[in-house]
Amino acid sequence: MLAQVETFKAITAARVRKVYETPSGPVEAVAEVDFEIARGDFVSILGPSGCGKSTLMLMIAGLESTTSGAITLDGLQVSGPQTDAGMMFQDPTLLPWRSVLDNVLFPIDMRGAVSSESRTRAESLLRMVDLWAFRDKRPRELSGGMRQRVALARALVNDPRILLMDEPFSALDAITRDEMGYALARIWDTTRKTAIFITHSIREAIFLSDRVLVMGRRPSTIIEDVRIPFERPRDPSIEADPRFNELYLHLKASIHRTTGVQ
Amino acid sequence: MNGIVNNSDLAPTSAASARAPLPAPSRPSRLGVLRGQARLVVLPVIAAALVITGWEAVVRIKQIPNTLLPAPSAVAIRLTETLPFLLGQAVPTTLETIASFLISMVLGISLAVLICKSRLMRDALYPNIVLFQLIPKIALAPLFIVWLGIGSTSRITFGVFISFFPVVVATLTGLMSVDRDLLRLCKAVGADESRIYAKVRFPAAVPHLFSGLKIAITFAMIGVIVGEFITAQAGLGYMILFAASQAEMTLIFASIVVLCVIGLVLYGIIVMAEALALKKYGA
Repeated sequence: MLAQVETFKAITAARVRKVYETPSGPVEAVAEVDFEIARGDFVSILGPSGCGKSTLMLMIAGLESTTSGAITLDGLQVSGPQTDAGMMFQDPTLLPWRSVLDNVLFPIDMRGAVSSESRTRAESLLRMVDLWAFRDKRPRELSGGMRQRVALARALVNDPRILLMDEPFSALDAITRDEMGYALARIWDTTRKTAIFITHSIREAIFLSDRVLVMGRRPSTIIEDVRIPFERPRDPSIEADPRFNELYLHLKASIHRTTGVQ
Repeated sequence: MNGIVNNSDLAPTSAASARAPLPAPSRPSRLGVLRGQARLVVLPVIAAALVITGWEAVVRIKQIPNTLLPAPSAVAIRLTETLPFLLGQAVPTTLETIASFLISMVLGISLAVLICKSRLMRDALYPNIVLFQLIPKIALAPLFIVWLGIGSTSRITFGVFISFFPVVVATLTGLMSVDRDLLRLCKAVGADESRIYAKVRFPAAVPHLFSGLKIAITFAMIGVIVGEFITAQAGLGYMILFAASQAEMTLIFASIVVLCVIGLVLYGIIVMAEALALKKYGA
């Protein structure tokens, strides 16, 4: 199963296709996707609802099988759940009966491997996401943005090789969402993990990413691959850069093409 | 960075009114002195006392005979006279109710786990369990006498039969209430099934489980009493039927009072256990 392919690419997808069998016939969630992501790149996948972005992420995580084609992580073909992928979802999915610290430790606890080292790591992650003061609180005592920061710390606690984020900020209000984007950019700068970030927000994608892939709808394939040239560390001022607006309009036009907006 | 910010959201429209003094609370009522917890206890007690007083008054004024409807005072006198005897009768009823309940709990939770774990079991059993809920199960009580005789086994079995469905349904709802993404996360970090049950599914099911157990304890008691109506030579259900045959209305009501107290105590124990569990596992 674990065939050695290319080792210099962190993530590759080759002719990846996913078809779901439903009572009303087969539904093609992902048509044919090809890409290669270099180690340490932050890549956003941008696209309209229902274009198969989430399915693609689940296939990378090894939680859904591919109908055909192959995905590799660090040169190894994905054939089952990837234990060194950190994941974030639209909902923080915290356990309400656990404290913030114990929620961060959850992935390690689920393997029965909590140690004083992992505890120290969880504590330093909580400091990094500015939630140290809240370590003993329950999730219900936190705001939506704080809960997603707990989820981010939890995604990093295993020191994963890749970070997979499926619209992690889309349930937040616009102001909190901006703050979370800045926080993620700052935290990502300290870890530089290969990351895939799924979003509907073009500005979020440009601000955070080294590369933006646009996924079309019917057929669900990658229709655009744009490199984002801004230096890191980034700060909100890049939004005033004329290139930011150019990229924004360019990406917006490609999304409109796939959704049929004139 | 997220595009348009609506400026009107930031307008200080309510700043001035927020500083204005709050109006004094309106609607003064006669019971306005009763606030919070006290009100929640005192008002129902007053309402119940009024009903009992009314009952007493009607029986006295209309001079209704004791053999038709005894006054609450007559029931109270009979209750104090026969209390040791009735408590003796309460022992088998209580023990059989507890036995039915405990068996239902173990059986119900086990079946729920089985259905949750296996897609095949879920598809095969769950629709039947839901349909079974709709059957008036009391009607099947005589079958249990035929199959299991007139001993406590048939009463306990019947109690289990009618009380374990709510446990299955509630537990299963709880076990299945776990967010799909959270289960994906568990798989992604390499957690095995037993750990997912111990650390995620069961804790998430706790609030649901207790709502099922509260129904189960009342159903278990109903099952046992119905069983006693049909078969027993002892127990409070038997006492009620025996007293009815002798037109001993005060004894019937005295037995019912004892049953009510036992039911309340058993229910209260579960509510207290629930309060403890929700402190730890509540949202």
